[in-house]
Amino acid sequence: MDIVILNRLQQLSERNLLDIAQAKREGRKVIGFYCLYSPIEIAVAAGAIPVSLCGTRNDPIEAAEKVLPRNLCPLIKSSYGYAATDTCPYFRFSDLVVGETTCDGKKKMFELLAEFRPTHILQLPQTQESDGALSFWYNEVKKFKERVEKETGVIITDERLSHAIQLTNQERKAKQSLMDLPKRNPSPISGLELLTILFKTGFFMDKRAKITLINEIVEEIQKRADQGEGPFDPKAPRILLTGVPVGLGSEKVIRLIEKAGANVVCFENCTGYRSVFTIDEKKEPLQAIAEKYLAIPCSVMSPNPGRIELLTELIKEFSVDGVVDLTWQACHTYNIESYNIETFITEKFGLPFLHLETDYSESDTEQLRVRIEAFLEMVKG
Amino acid sequence: MRTAGIDIGSRTIKLVIVENGQMIHSAITDTTHDPLEQCKRLMDQVSFDKILATGYGRHFFETHFDTPTVTEIKAFARGAKALFPSCRTILDIGGQDTKAIALDERGNVSKFEMNDRCAAGTGMFLEVIAKTLGYDLDEFGKEALKADGNIQINSMCTVFAQSEVTSLLARRQKREDIARGIHMAILNRTLSLLKRVSTTPDIVFAGGVAKNPCLRLLLIDTLGYEVKVPQNPQMVGAYGAAIIAREIY
Amino acid sequence: MWTELGLNLEAHDELLAVLGNAYKDIYMKQENRPKGMQYLDFVISEAHGLRIEELMETKRKGNKVVGTFCVYVPEELILAVGGTCVGLCAGAEIGIDEAEKVLPRNTCALIKSFMGFKLAGLCPYIQASDLVVGETTCDGKKKAYEILNDYKETYVMEIPQMKTERDRALWRGEIVQFKEKVEQLTGRKVTVETLRQGIKIANATRRALQRLSGLRKATPTPISGLDALLVNQIAFYDDPLRFTKSVNDLCDELEDRVKKGIGVTKNGTPRILVSGSPMAVPNWKVPYIIETSGAVVVAEESCVGERSTRDLVKEDGKTLDEMIDAITDRYMKIDCACFTPNVERTDHILELAKDFKADGVVHYSIQFCTPYTVEAHKVEKALQQKGIPMLRIETDYGMEDMGQLKTRIEAFLEMLRK
Repeated sequence: MDIVILNRLQQLSERNLLDIAQAKREGRKVIGFYCLYSPIEIAVAAGAIPVSLCGTRNDPIEAAEKVLPRNLCPLIKSSYGYAATDTCPYFRFSDLVVGETTCDGKKKMFELLAEFRPTHILQLPQTQESDGALSFWYNEVKKFKERVEKETGVIITDERLSHAIQLTNQERKAKQSLMDLPKRNPSPISGLELLTILFKTGFFMDKRAKITLINEIVEEIQKRADQGEGPFDPKAPRILLTGVPVGLGSEKVIRLIEKAGANVVCFENCTGYRSVFTIDEKKEPLQAIAEKYLAIPCSVMSPNPGRIELLTELIKEFSVDGVVDLTWQACHTYNIESYNIETFITEKFGLPFLHLETDYSESDTEQLRVRIEAFLEMVKG
Repeated sequence: MRTAGIDIGSRTIKLVIVENGQMIHSAITDTTHDPLEQCKRLMDQVSFDKILATGYGRHFFETHFDTPTVTEIKAFARGAKALFPSCRTILDIGGQDTKAIALDERGNVSKFEMNDRCAAGTGMFLEVIAKTLGYDLDEFGKEALKADGNIQINSMCTVFAQSEVTSLLARRQKREDIARGIHMAILNRTLSLLKRVSTTPDIVFAGGVAKNPCLRLLLIDTLGYEVKVPQNPQMVGAYGAAIIAREIY
Repeated sequence: MWTELGLNLEAHDELLAVLGNAYKDIYMKQENRPKGMQYLDFVISEAHGLRIEELMETKRKGNKVVGTFCVYVPEELILAVGGTCVGLCAGAEIGIDEAEKVLPRNTCALIKSFMGFKLAGLCPYIQASDLVVGETTCDGKKKAYEILNDYKETYVMEIPQMKTERDRALWRGEIVQFKEKVEQLTGRKVTVETLRQGIKIANATRRALQRLSGLRKATPTPISGLDALLVNQIAFYDDPLRFTKSVNDLCDELEDRVKKGIGVTKNGTPRILVSGSPMAVPNWKVPYIIETSGAVVVAEESCVGERSTRDLVKEDGKTLDEMIDAITDRYMKIDCACFTPNVERTDHILELAKDFKADGVVHYSIQFCTPYTVEAHKVEKALQQKGIPMLRIETDYGMEDMGQLKTRIEAFLEMLRK
């Protein structure tokens, strides 16, 4: 990737921590989030700073295993480990952390996390299809709003919410235009570069600066693509990565796929495409928020038809040659759902499909590599 | 009264005779495919009044000789405490399993954890890797001590670590450095287990693997304090069983 | 009959043989069993025989059989439409190959077992079920029902994850919908009379089991943990009225034993409370190891045990609404680990340990059962504060780790005997 872009990202990342520290000194609150289902608009509308606390590195896991079972999703152990070792600056900044009843592991982990920070739990319904689901969720979002009002001392009016929605919609739009770059063939950007930009900008406090930066990056990369520049040749297999969230620290599978000569063109996960919905700006804001967030197609929902729909759309739009379904070890919802996803992908699209189950450590790199290489041989035909 | 303790492991059988609280005889032999025969051979060499069995094969011994049994947890606890009265924690790395035991002030077991589902980090692991590197078991630890480089070994599984070592050798990495890396990997895994149980000193490091000088040093370095290693670290279980036999009778 | 039900006869025979042998080794070898256990021995031996015939007979008469996987499903409503409720959770590894074709290997053994029982054609109960009811409890079950539904239509109840007022309202709504479902299934309406009856029958069974539980508090305890577990397991299969009477008869005998100071243990036998994931028939592994290592299990804090029998539905409701409220309230009390924060469970465990004079607690979670395995930490800390030793066991249905489990359990008992 362009060294200039990388440098700017690095500089802004470092500035970001100082900016947040300064904002805290000025009395603003920081709210830590662990999951895409938790609406950040509530924090933004109250003038608080939303930060992502989802753990993506292996280091804090050992500390977590003193309390949590070893046989547990690495993302959950990493997230808890950061809190327990106080080694994440964003966790340290957080005045309030938001958990949710998504998967069993997270749900029970938050009970233990409450020891370190005031924790608010959003109770997510387990199905999107029942009559009561949306109104139940609406009430949960409302309760969350009330908690944040108490925490910040700011009354979250509809007007403030509407402005927050407009801002986050723009943010998501910018994100989407970045994630759409690989629609071109060959893609002008690698999956790893895409992940790096998404991950680093994900922490930025200043959303407007973030939007501007992303738009600039998109423009630059498009210019390069127009000039025929890019990291891949047109024959590189185009792979869609679906399943669990990934970040810097847990990007091992993406790295392996691209080292083997393929291109990860799209992420159908919470890190990627699942996160770029548009909230209806004409509806009553809390209602609009509740609706869009409830529709997120994570495997904790039963059934989860939204994931099939999104996959269908993305496979077509990104000219995908093969699908890799990533599951973190001990993640039961994605692991069990993989069976139906595989059936769907092979029956409807006839595409090669690879299901990988791994953790954050490096110990199974060779085993993953051989599977990925064999899968790519299938893709190349 | 002479009491005997016999510790029947999956790889070795250890026998200890105790009289007046003192260890007067100890012997070790391989378990082989005929543990009954091996036990008899050990027992025929000596005389004793009562015997008590511990270890993986204790119930097997019980059916043949109608003796009482205790688990190796209790046996190691008793043996370590007798050897080192100030003992509060026991780390035992044996042929195929690892145990960490915490003792209270009176020397009773207050907490324990075992890893006996997988040979990673045990004596078996060391043997296999030593062989792959062309060392015998004794020199393995000594050579690892000499290393100045440290290579990170990623696989903890005995089988996969072997492949990893082979490929490191192919890439012309130094044998001692690889050996060192292997010892570090065992240490890390062991420490994980130990920290879940106790790191209260005095820590007694027992089991066959305690004879490895490199692991001893790494353990002391990481903990920041001395650990006690018995002269015959493999005999602690049998010794403890012999002492308990005296208490019962 | 088995062919009519669509069972795989060969595989089914294998299951029966394994069950029979296990039962002989584990149950029949016990000493000093109460005579009242003979009824339970009989039921087990006919679990796939006479009991199934009874179910087929009731179906022929136009009544329906409803299979369930969880104690949250309100049995009272099923009884109110003249239906029979049967538990489908399974406790054996047979059929696991079939299950692992559709489920990941690292899934809870209980889930793989019931899936395997269905897919391998081993279970007459699921075959006989006119309606199969799942629920959104744990991740594994929730997602497994999506797949089970492809093989047998599964009606899923949404269980809340917390216990606020709104959760209670959600749950009440689910119960009302379930009522409509069983009405639709049977073509019968739930009336004040029939629901009152259903509540009475279910409560009577719970009272009998509570009575059994209470008698185990005695020292020496008059019945083994294995036997008491079996009684609790059979509660999910047997005819409620007959079962309740048999349990009460057993309790009469046990009362007599307690009066005379007759028990199944010697002086000084450690008393163990087992707590955690449910043990479905024929999962007897851990209590078997505990009780053949010189201890006795005096109580089970699990869905096949205290968690399910502890609370009754209030019987003073005069309208359908009031009764449904009473049912809602009773079921909301169940303290499964799939709820958060589930402080009640820890409190209950401490209470049980005290009431039953437990010397130690064995925390049992099925391997890959996230909710109970994570909760073990909290439970252990609370017990530690009260000076009650706890041993954590995480295992599945297989026999490979019997040796390792025995070592741990024996070592734990050695600790207790100090």
